[in-house]
Amino acid sequence: MKETIKNTTLADRLLFFLLISLSVSGIFISRDALSQGSDVIVEVDGKPAYTLPLNADKRLSIDGPYGPTLIEIEKGKVRVKESHCRNQICVRDGWTSRGAIVCLPNKLVIIVGGSNKYQKQGIDAITG
Amino acid sequence: MQLQDKHRVAILAAYALALHGFESLLPTPIPWLKLGLANIITLVALVLYGFRTALMVTLIRVVLASIFIGTFLGPAFILSAGGGLASVVAMGLSIKYFKNLFGTVGISLIGALFHNIAQLSLAYYFFIQRIEAVLIISPLIVLIGSLTGIVNGIISDILIKNLLKKDTEKIQNVVHW
Repeated sequence: MKETIKNTTLADRLLFFLLISLSVSGIFISRDALSQGSDVIVEVDGKPAYTLPLNADKRLSIDGPYGPTLIEIEKGKVRVKESHCRNQICVRDGWTSRGAIVCLPNKLVIIVGGSNKYQKQGIDAITG
Repeated sequence: MQLQDKHRVAILAAYALALHGFESLLPTPIPWLKLGLANIITLVALVLYGFRTALMVTLIRVVLASIFIGTFLGPAFILSAGGGLASVVAMGLSIKYFKNLFGTVGISLIGALFHNIAQLSLAYYFFIQRIEAVLIISPLIVLIGSLTGIVNGIISDILIKNLLKKDTEKIQNVVHW
């Protein structure tokens, strides 16, 4: 085995390092591109009401059965700043960059990350 | 095709089939991660006996393995056949035109790369049809493919050297390109 590795040509090694470096940098580039494409989707009463980019700071007030809910987007994260519901679960969730924040009394769902969340379809896995 | 060549193709295809079947039984952490052990046989056939033998071995292996595993003419078969054919053609061409440039390990890497490219394009055209998904997944697939390609190339190189050493009369049968 050592002999085989020693006998590899210069082109072999160049090809190997080229492929490895290209694919590793490709992984990082695609990950960056993916996180930039993230959106915040605000659903009121089960219907998507707003779609906002995660990388732009914004404040948003949404009216619900318990009064206005204040949503804040900052530095790629979302939180519910203020809500007039009883449990305050959504406020205690704090800053979130992935997943969802739910405020049941106000019928409010905030989904973070992955703008293609509702478009995923097709085959899960192929073997063989 | 002579009788001896037919025997050789049959034996090589049997080896490739056994490796392919064994590999499909191995549990893998990611569904589409495969070692590509059958490519060792393809590469050995290509280097020692020429392009036609390697092509026949690959075709027999892909078709029979899919019948045994139960994926014949299914999506997995299309991907497997496309990847196998692309890898044989790429390796055959690179042996023909860059024989002085690349060693066995390099040829194996080229084969692995084209195997992945063919599978990704086939998956895009027939099954996924979303270019972002393919682009996101392709660097990881190429990375894993290069690593397994290196390992397979090293194994093939050792195998080829041992085969050449052991029975010198086979050297007379080596196809001259």
